[in-house]
Amino acid sequence: MACMNEDGQWIVLMGLLVAVGLFFLALIINQSALVGQTTAEGVLEFPKNDIRDLREAVFDYTDTFGSVDNGTTGAVRQDIAMISLERKNAVVNFSVESQVEVSDHYLYPITIHYYNGVTEYDENVYY
Amino acid sequence: MVNDRGQLYTMEGVAAGLIMLLTVYIVISTTSIYTPGDTHIPDMQLEQLGSDVLAMMDTPDADGSESQLTTLVKGGAPDGDTLKDRFLDYCKMRAGSDDANLRAQAYLSYRTASGSVNTTPLSSADAEFTGRENTVRVTRWVQLDGSLLGMPGDMRTDPQAVLVEVLLWRA
Repeated sequence: MACMNEDGQWIVLMGLLVAVGLFFLALIINQSALVGQTTAEGVLEFPKNDIRDLREAVFDYTDTFGSVDNGTTGAVRQDIAMISLERKNAVVNFSVESQVEVSDHYLYPITIHYYNGVTEYDENVYY
Repeated sequence: MVNDRGQLYTMEGVAAGLIMLLTVYIVISTTSIYTPGDTHIPDMQLEQLGSDVLAMMDTPDADGSESQLTTLVKGGAPDGDTLKDRFLDYCKMRAGSDDANLRAQAYLSYRTASGSVNTTPLSSADAEFTGRENTVRVTRWVQLDGSLLGMPGDMRTDPQAVLVEVLLWRA
């Protein structure tokens, strides 16, 4: 290093540090864009409303038919299963058993199954 | 060799670095970057709004009575426009200026006797609907007995479950 001026090496070093810092900032901004997208997509794709809607439909069905199992109720169950498959791309199945006594109330045990390829939802509920 | 020459340069370097960082921070914090993810957020809000309105319309006024949604669906295609208009009115019900840009289109899906699923428009088509709108879809199940007015003849007449689908978009 003869005859070379060593002044200002710190400036070079600081420049390097600032450059590395900027690089990391850029990386964080890049990641934040990705995080926003996946979060919003996750919320949109999670079938929260579909599942609530299905529960409501099953409870309506139970209000109307109870645990009766005949041609009419079979047709309604098939309606819900087939329209779900066709319009919501979801496999849906549910069954209503005859009433049992739960804490002095007579309730129908209901089993609900929902699967749309991403989200699987199973519920056993006394209604 | 390390000596104490050029210390002023060092301080200048640190100061320059701080100024650069501060500049970058100010620039980034003043411009909001519209990420691809942000485009979904209005969709999320619209979907929640439509879903809430449908749930509200499907709630009977009194115990045991029929909900507004069920009544309007039972009216079939003639009542479909009323259903759409009421739905939009409820969506626009808010404080402040009127939200005149919301549009909706209602559809009904049912299972025919032959076992296939048909979807038919319940409300008459929006004049400005191009099919390229960024729509969200909200749905609600309705239990029916008997077929509806103004519906295709292949609809069953026995008790059945049908699906009301509403496309909602901002024009």
